[in-house]
Amino acid sequence: MATEAAPMDEKAKRMRDLLSSFYAPDPSISTSGSSISTSFDNINSTSFDADQYMDLMIKKSNLEVLLQRHVQMAAEIKNLDTDLQMLVYENYNKFISATDTIKRMKSNIFGMEGNMDQLLQKIMSVQSRSDGVNTSLFEKREHIEKLHRTRNLLRKVQFIYDLPARLHKCIKSEAYGDAVRFYTGAMPILKVYGDTSFQDCRRDSEEAIKIIIKNLQTKLFSDSESIQARAEAAVLLKQLDVPVDSLKAKLLEKLEQSLDGLQINPEEARKLAKQNDSSNDAESDDQRPAKIHEDAVRGFSEAMRAYREIFPDSEERLFKLARALTAMHFESMELYIRKRVSTEDFLGIFRIIWEDVVLMDEVLPEAALSDLSAEAAQVTLKQYVARMFSHLQQDISDTLLKFGINQKEAVEGEVLKVVLEASKKAVLQGTTDIFQDFHQLLDENTGIFIKMKELIIGWIQKGFQDFFRSLEAQFLVLSGKTSSSNDTEGGLIEGKSSDKIHAGLILVLAQLSVFIEQKVIPRVTEEIATSFSGGNSQAFENGPAFIPGELCRVFHAASEKLLQHYIDTRTQKVSVLLRKRFKTPNWVKHKEPREVHMFVDMFLHELEEVGKEVKQVLPQGTFRKHKRTDSNGSNTTTSSRSNTLHNDKMTRSNSQRARSQLFETHLAKLFKQKVEIFTKVEFTQESVVTTTVKLCLKSLQEYVRLQTFNRSGFQQIQLDIQFLKAPLKETVEDEAAIDFLLDEVIVAASERCLDVIPLEPPILDKLIQAKLAKSKEHNNNNTVSS
Amino acid sequence: MQGGSSGIGYGLKYQARCISDVKADTDYTSFLTGTLSLKEENEVHLLRLSSGGSELICEGLFSHPNEIWDLASCPFDQRIFSTVFSTGESFGAAIWQIPELYGQLNSPQLERIASLDAHVGKINCVLWWPSGRCDKLISMDEQNIFLWSLDSSKKSAEVLSKDSAGMLHSLSGGAWNPHDVNAVAATGESSVQFWDLRTMKKVNSIERAHVRGVDYNPKREHILVTAEDESGIHVWDLRKAKVPVQELPGHTHWTWAVKCNPEYDGLILSAGTDSAVNLWYASASSTDEKTSERPVESTRQRVNLLLNSYTDYEDSVYGLAWSSREPWVFASLSYDGRVVIESVKPFLPRI
Repeated sequence: MATEAAPMDEKAKRMRDLLSSFYAPDPSISTSGSSISTSFDNINSTSFDADQYMDLMIKKSNLEVLLQRHVQMAAEIKNLDTDLQMLVYENYNKFISATDTIKRMKSNIFGMEGNMDQLLQKIMSVQSRSDGVNTSLFEKREHIEKLHRTRNLLRKVQFIYDLPARLHKCIKSEAYGDAVRFYTGAMPILKVYGDTSFQDCRRDSEEAIKIIIKNLQTKLFSDSESIQARAEAAVLLKQLDVPVDSLKAKLLEKLEQSLDGLQINPEEARKLAKQNDSSNDAESDDQRPAKIHEDAVRGFSEAMRAYREIFPDSEERLFKLARALTAMHFESMELYIRKRVSTEDFLGIFRIIWEDVVLMDEVLPEAALSDLSAEAAQVTLKQYVARMFSHLQQDISDTLLKFGINQKEAVEGEVLKVVLEASKKAVLQGTTDIFQDFHQLLDENTGIFIKMKELIIGWIQKGFQDFFRSLEAQFLVLSGKTSSSNDTEGGLIEGKSSDKIHAGLILVLAQLSVFIEQKVIPRVTEEIATSFSGGNSQAFENGPAFIPGELCRVFHAASEKLLQHYIDTRTQKVSVLLRKRFKTPNWVKHKEPREVHMFVDMFLHELEEVGKEVKQVLPQGTFRKHKRTDSNGSNTTTSSRSNTLHNDKMTRSNSQRARSQLFETHLAKLFKQKVEIFTKVEFTQESVVTTTVKLCLKSLQEYVRLQTFNRSGFQQIQLDIQFLKAPLKETVEDEAAIDFLLDEVIVAASERCLDVIPLEPPILDKLIQAKLAKSKEHNNNNTVSS
Repeated sequence: MQGGSSGIGYGLKYQARCISDVKADTDYTSFLTGTLSLKEENEVHLLRLSSGGSELICEGLFSHPNEIWDLASCPFDQRIFSTVFSTGESFGAAIWQIPELYGQLNSPQLERIASLDAHVGKINCVLWWPSGRCDKLISMDEQNIFLWSLDSSKKSAEVLSKDSAGMLHSLSGGAWNPHDVNAVAATGESSVQFWDLRTMKKVNSIERAHVRGVDYNPKREHILVTAEDESGIHVWDLRKAKVPVQELPGHTHWTWAVKCNPEYDGLILSAGTDSAVNLWYASASSTDEKTSERPVESTRQRVNLLLNSYTDYEDSVYGLAWSSREPWVFASLSYDGRVVIESVKPFLPRI
């Protein structure tokens, strides 16, 4: 084809060139040969000037070229002529056929219009025909439609008439769902025509529905039904426009009432806890209350679960209920632990409560019950720990006060010893028990406890600290030593009652303080270090809560204070005795001494009491024997001094010598080592007795110094003191000091005497012997009579 | 007889119980003291602290007819003082005047201005009008309290009024309220009692047994300090007299005398039969804080309240007096007749 197309193209191109040169007004546009020939040469250009071309040709070319040119040109012209001829022929044919076609067209168009009119007419007639058919069928169609509607209506009426029967059937088959559907379907009609045409029908169906509602309600309230069924019933009731909220309220009220049943009665709590424990080892036949309680709570939580599903919008209320139950549990727990409760019981109840909480928490996780109860449990547990300490303290003070120390017989017998031992035991046993209890608390694995372990340890540590502090305070109160921290009222009461407090009790308290300081606190410290260390360090930024060093210091101070207080109360008694002795007689007009005055008996009796009390409570001094020999050694020197002084004094009755005698006393005092009268009291029998005797003798000396004696008065004092010497030395460890003090009394008396003439030693001796015999006889009588 | 301590000593010949500050002497710090000797010639010593404060000089020595149980210097005339004395069998009280040119006389005699001779029982003390020039005096025996008017120019004293405390109370001493000149406190067997001098009737009492000494706080109204045999020192607020405001442990044996400093509030001096003088600081303002604190801490505080204990004595200390001219100086007198003057200056910064 390509080979063919090429000559065709050539031909067509030439043709087109020709045509264009023919038609084109501007020869410059024609492309053929223009590029080769110049404007002069180009024969095809419009500006071609033949003459000029001729001239140029002639001038330029020779003849041969011109001839050639001529030939060429002639041939070209011939070609052109044939081409033109061809062109004209070809196109002429086409013109002719075109003219023919136009002619034929003209003749064809003439018939067309008539046909068109015909067509229009036909269509018109068709339309009119169809309209006719339509109008003729219209009436019938209307009728058919009317009939159809009537039929529908009739079907509905039929349904309504059937409704009661249908409902009854549904009731019978318990297909409440269908029944409700039917009823709600019929509702609009019944609403409109219920008062007129379908009155009976409506009444009947309403009655049926009432039955249905009732049935549904009973279904809803009955716990035996499945939750699903009950939920459905609730939904149906809601559809029936029955006020469900009131129902809900009623139901929840019922639930609330059931709470009371769930409450753990403090009285029963103990039983509950007991049973709970025993249930582990023996499944006894009688249903235990714990089991019952558990079932009840389980039921409660089930009910809650149900209601939650039935009434999704009642969650808040249920939360409240669950919280109320938890709160109630912890409240009753608080009530319960107000009384004394063993840790086991406490933990038992705690476990029960925790189980309840877990049960409810499963149902209502959103109620944050575990958080709530954790908080409550913290509070309760803290209270419990505090209460344990207060119980312990109560125990200790009870033990102290249980025995009638107030009675006089306390001195006789071993009452003080018994009390001391009992209270020691109470303290020791109490702390051991409390530690055991705390161990139990810490070992407990109920959810809450694990979280609170740190806290508990903190409480225990702090608890011990506070416990010992308050124990010390209580000791001081018990001893009747009014402490400045008490308010006005309290101080007043204590001040009054302090007379009634037996001195023995104070002594017991003092020794108990020592015991606590030396035994109990180290033990507690050890125990805390081994099992209760750590604790919540954050809660106690001020260092550890339990500071044994401080407590030891406190109790050390307390024991010393109490011992001092004991000695004070004892000496006070003697002081009163001495005061009476020295106030009553007129010493300046005293009669000759006939016998040893009876105050000596009373004084010795008091000392005897002190000795007995002390012997029961305080330990014996370990260095007693040693000390005695020691003091014996010094005794010889001092007594020899005082004896010489004494004898000197006796012989110097005249007043001139008294002055030098005073100097002598001063000098003697200067050179002699000062006898330490007021030494520190130790916790030994001897030390306390000695201190008491020393203080009493010092008081005696002071009383003597305030009086003025005549000869007989002085002699009386001399006699009394002489009599005292032997028994005092027996009871007291520091004989030197006693000797010194007794001498001081006599010196004081002689200084205050107007006429110092001592009794002759034989008379002195005789009177003392008489007294001894008399007291012996008295004792014998006493033993005989008893 | 100077001891090892900072105190300045002075020895009397005989035993003695009482010492008094000579308040009216504005030029020197002086004290008056009298001996207690049943059988010897008793003396009244007028002591003066040398200007350097290093020596105690005997300015005057006067013989007194009887042993002196109580001595009080007149607050407005340095030459007048009162004594309570005993012959052994009976008691008496008198106002004396030191002769004018006593320094030049060989053996100066005291001039007896007046005898307060209305008493029958054992007289305890004579109290001077607490401040200013007033001629009123109070004397007490065991049952009665007398208010006297003294006329020193006429050399006589008259009883203005009297009241009986009753047999049972057996008064033992007292103090005149410096804030209210109509109020007088008297210590008795079982209570401290208060008299209103206008009506001469008992108006109030603090039930407290065995009170030995009593003193009003001169710097603070309503505050009274008592010293008791066994139970130490108590500070009272007379408006709330049921419980003591503060309790100080006192002395190992009896606390015999107690004196409030005339200048420094809360500074209390006590003397005891355990041969010691204790210096306390018990400010009433700080008491309120202390009571609110825990008992343990307050006891620790209480221990700290003892500023110093002067123990350089051989016998019981009965006499005690602050100097009103140099309020940091006090004089103490032990039974063996030794006067010791001490300065509390080193402790003042601690209050």
